[in-house]
Amino acid sequence: MKKIAKKRQSRPDIPMASTSDIAFLLIIFFMVSTVFRRELGLQIAVPEAEATERIIKRRNVSSIWMDKEGRTTINDNLVNPGIVTSVMSEWIIDNPDMVVMMRADRDAAYGYVTDVLEALKAARALKVTFATDFPREEGG
Amino acid sequence: MALKTKTGSRERSRPNIPTASMGDIAFLIIIFFMTTSIFSRDKGLKIVLPEIGEEVKIKSENIMTVRVSPEGKVLIEDPVTKEFQVVTVPEVRDLVAAKLAANPDVAIALRVSRRAPYQTMVDVFDELKMAKAERISLMPVREEEGG
Repeated sequence: MKKIAKKRQSRPDIPMASTSDIAFLLIIFFMVSTVFRRELGLQIAVPEAEATERIIKRRNVSSIWMDKEGRTTINDNLVNPGIVTSVMSEWIIDNPDMVVMMRADRDAAYGYVTDVLEALKAARALKVTFATDFPREEGG
Repeated sequence: MALKTKTGSRERSRPNIPTASMGDIAFLIIIFFMTTSIFSRDKGLKIVLPEIGEEVKIKSENIMTVRVSPEGKVLIEDPVTKEFQVVTVPEVRDLVAAKLAANPDVAIALRVSRRAPYQTMVDVFDELKMAKAERISLMPVREEEGG
């Protein structure tokens, strides 16, 4: 009776052997969930908006980039609105849920944006998101 | 002799590799991946464009036109006089919300000049979203039709 009680008190040990298993599980999770960006895009400053929403399904997103001067790229290729229509009408067939991310610079003239929107309408790529950022607090 | 065999058998019986540091290595790799992976920050303002040819007839009293001039001024149509008045961007929200409260069927037509800065258009669009406007139409403006 006395002996058993003594034994229990003497070694309160936590099994440490499986910590590495947990760690490797986390590694594999991060490796699988990491998506490397293949697209370079253009150097832009997106506009700020309060109503900005996050997009959860990233796999459906394809981007159109536009800089201050209205230069437009898709997958790092310079395009014009006519090419936007032909490219997007192919992609919308592959993925009907595609969302087009319009990443335009805040100083771009709206005319360039509206040309791309008309091209997207022609391609029947109707789900569009204007890339925006949450407003910075003053002082930034 | 007896001593020698004793040590020999001991060495063969437990050839152990230290596994205690495996966790350390694993966590090192975790930290590496966590710090190097960039979560892509896709966020923005959603809109669904109308299909070409899909023209919905809306009664003129249910349309509220908001215009942005080439200089980036915001103009809202006065419901009584039908004249456009210059407003500041934060005023748009209250005006649109008031209009929607009076008539929930109101559709907002946003006519932005081709030369207006994109930021101004997003500011106005943001205000419409914040006013909970559901029916927003981006009207393409051909060449400057006045203002």
